[in-house]
Amino acid sequence: MMVHSKQRNSVIVRIAGAAGDGIASAGEFFGKICARQGLHIMAYNAYQSAIRGGHVWLQLHVGSEKTLTHGEKPDVAILLNRTSPAVHIPDMKSGGVVFYNSSLITEDLSKMRDDLTYHHFPFLETVNVPGATAVMANTMLVGCLIEVLGINHELGLDVIRERYSKKGVEIVDLNSKVFERGMEWAQQNAKRFDLALKGDGKKRMFLTGNHAFGMGFLAHGLKFYAAYPMSPSTGILHYLATKAKSHKIVVKQTEDELAAVNFIIGAAHAGVRTATATSGGGFALMTEGIGLAGMLEEPIVVVNVQRGGPSTGIPTKQEQGDLNQMLGASQGEFSRIVLAPTDTEDAFHTAGRALNLAEKYQVPVLILSDLFLSEHFQTCVPFQVKQPIERGKIQNSVNGQYKRFLITDDGISPRLLPGTPGGMYCSPSDEHDEEGIVTSDVLAGLPEARELRIKLQSKRMRKLEAIRREEMRPPTLTGPQDAEFTLMGWGSTYDAIEEACQIFAQFGTKVNHLHFTDLFPLPTEKVLEILNSCKEVIGVEGNYTGQMAKLIRMETGFHIKRSVNRFDGEPFTGEDIYNRVKKELAYV
Amino acid sequence: MSSEVKDFNHKVAPDWCPGCGDFGLLAGLKKALPSVSLETHDVMVVSGIGCSSNLPGFINTYGLHTLHGRSLPIAQGFKLANHKMTVVAVGGDGDGYGIGVGHLVHAMRRNIDMTYLVMNNSIYGLTTGQTSPTSGFQMKTKSTPFGNPELPLNPLTLALGSGCGFVARVYTGHVTQLIDIVQKAIKHPGFALIDTFSPCVTFNKINTHQYYKENVKDINKLGHNPSDLYAAFREATREDCITTGIFYQSDRPCYEASEEETLREPLFAHKLGISREEETALMAEFV
Ligand SMILES: Cc1ncc(C[n+]2csc(CCOP(=O)(O)OP(=O)(O)O)c2C)c(N)n1
Ligand code: SF4
Ligand SMILES: [Mg+2]
Repeated sequence: MMVHSKQRNSVIVRIAGAAGDGIASAGEFFGKICARQGLHIMAYNAYQSAIRGGHVWLQLHVGSEKTLTHGEKPDVAILLNRTSPAVHIPDMKSGGVVFYNSSLITEDLSKMRDDLTYHHFPFLETVNVPGATAVMANTMLVGCLIEVLGINHELGLDVIRERYSKKGVEIVDLNSKVFERGMEWAQQNAKRFDLALKGDGKKRMFLTGNHAFGMGFLAHGLKFYAAYPMSPSTGILHYLATKAKSHKIVVKQTEDELAAVNFIIGAAHAGVRTATATSGGGFALMTEGIGLAGMLEEPIVVVNVQRGGPSTGIPTKQEQGDLNQMLGASQGEFSRIVLAPTDTEDAFHTAGRALNLAEKYQVPVLILSDLFLSEHFQTCVPFQVKQPIERGKIQNSVNGQYKRFLITDDGISPRLLPGTPGGMYCSPSDEHDEEGIVTSDVLAGLPEARELRIKLQSKRMRKLEAIRREEMRPPTLTGPQDAEFTLMGWGSTYDAIEEACQIFAQFGTKVNHLHFTDLFPLPTEKVLEILNSCKEVIGVEGNYTGQMAKLIRMETGFHIKRSVNRFDGEPFTGEDIYNRVKKELAYV
Repeated sequence: MSSEVKDFNHKVAPDWCPGCGDFGLLAGLKKALPSVSLETHDVMVVSGIGCSSNLPGFINTYGLHTLHGRSLPIAQGFKLANHKMTVVAVGGDGDGYGIGVGHLVHAMRRNIDMTYLVMNNSIYGLTTGQTSPTSGFQMKTKSTPFGNPELPLNPLTLALGSGCGFVARVYTGHVTQLIDIVQKAIKHPGFALIDTFSPCVTFNKINTHQYYKENVKDINKLGHNPSDLYAAFREATREDCITTGIFYQSDRPCYEASEEETLREPLFAHKLGISREEETALMAEFV
């Protein structure tokens, strides 16, 4: 199926090679150039949990208009190593162009497919600029791409200048020469694409969801971040670590995730805005701490960047398999919030919103990201802080007896920051009374303690109802009102589902899109109302069991009977959803 | 205004068994705090779970009574967020040397300025008498009715080998020595570990008050030099008697020194948010 056939204002480029070939860095370089021209890019990096030796590729979908996913079949491929042809040539769009490294790839590729154009690109030999090294072949490759795609090469030279200015003029000149050599080579050997790639001139950022989470935290008052490295969440740690000194925040790599979550509970207790991030396995270790934050009513934010599970699973691959874990994390019942941002920009704002909600309601806020959202690069217009910092009820002095767990109508008790004269109290993980005095040992079971238990547990749980009522956003419903059916998704699949709806529209089928970001507590009545307005709902989830559909059924009684589920480790694209839904609909 | 011992008394009386060694530790701590000029609101006492970990509920300071084994990460996170307060972590041998020992090792090498008092009774008290990481070889407990087949851990050599800058041990019945060591530990600018022999009169019939009274010797009275790491290892592994006192004290800078700029003001008191210029600069990095 050809989605992009009628209007060539977008192109899909794939760069493939060995881990360690510098593909990610070449992609970032190319992406920045396009972003400066005001083009849109959605890039997806396919890699493995190996530093060298694996086969990796980067797919960039570049367009004059917003490209919603990285797309399926490449128009252009750059193949750098011997493993590449067998993996990527079958994927190419018919009529596509392949540049390959003929220093390493020696077989006759036209035998594999004869509907593609092949250019052998002797990377090493062609560099030929005195002083140039093998890694600079990537710079040359980007020059070549820029030329065949008809992108303004001056922007490339600008980016080179900025990238290498710290290393001195010579390095800048050398890279510029290599880059221009790539352009010249393309002029002599390849044809310029028949494309209308027009930028709108807006300078966009080219960044990942993890950058956006980190930046979002930083921009909304985060002061303390603790984490233990775990793919695909580590980008947040890396980003914030570079900002620690300049923004006067403390960033701490702890000995494990048990420590990370408990460090931030300690910091939150002191009155600091704080967060941690991990992936499923690390999140499992944080579980007991999340319950502690529930009991002590501490405002913490925990990001779980999902990867393929169970157990160590597929560390570098995509899945939406941890929703149940977020809902069920830790023993007993307590108020919590689960949010799943839709895209890179939403990651930025969700980080701020999570910090606000955590402090306002003194609850753990859990953010569900995934490998795709956290690690794919895309272009975004620079973000702007939209939400003022809201810290909720904090009192600065004590008048009479301070009660940390004062029973209130909304369940929220004013916080008093430790260190305030006259306010001493102890927050215990055991059940306690309003003052924080433990009622779970010598008093346990006595009528007085039972009554207090009911009061305190109800107070903590009342917050959940306030959150549901005041804060939780209902799912968005986009697309035609009279749609034949509705695709339901959550979190990072937003753009892919939008793309699928567009494809359906091209084929004359009216489909709309129901999307959840606020997963728990669900604003039940509104959700049900919207669901009831849909003709037929089909779940689209990156997991085996349809966890969101189950949550919806549990909370609202609404049964989403059909679903398409992807759990092979790859992210959804519009085309892929389209095909899966068609197949699902074929079974009646 | 200066505080007195009675200011630290809490209206809740400890629910420990009569004779429990933890009473001695609580009394010593309540005496040590005012003697180093701390007010009740200057102090944060953090504990895990266990009989000993109930202590924050019995002292009139700020307190956090947390999870089994997690007092140290919480205490360290708190300290980095409010380093003007004095942070004291307390707990049992199960809490600190069993389930939480990973955190202990890293807290010692990290060296955040705080004091950790372990009420070591060589038994799990709260769970009614199972073997602990410091139970003796062949000791009979509820979970080892035929004798403990494992060797006990030596908290002192663990500390010395983990870069701990203040390593001490004391029997909680020796109140004067206890107060003196706690004062010094609190004043020590870095992580201080005090392993305290705090007998469980109910579940441990071996490591009793009597036993410690008869067998402990204060190495500081015997001329031990606490700046000598090798001598400290030697004193910590003596078999002829049970040694107490300050084994080792170093003057290496505490962790907070590495965050000097950031911690000029306590973190919790920082102004929040970023300016429009800072916002633009953050974004510009990705353009
Ligand atoms: C995660 C977890 N595991 C087990 C327990 C049960 N538990 C409570 S206290 C304790 C051991 C207490 O021993 P210790 O720390 O030496 O304190 P003591 O009671 O002897 O003072 C255990 C195993 C728990 N509370 N949490
Ligand atoms: S059981 Fe042992 S440790 Fe617990 S209070 Fe009684 S004597 Fe103390
Ligand atoms: Mg014990």
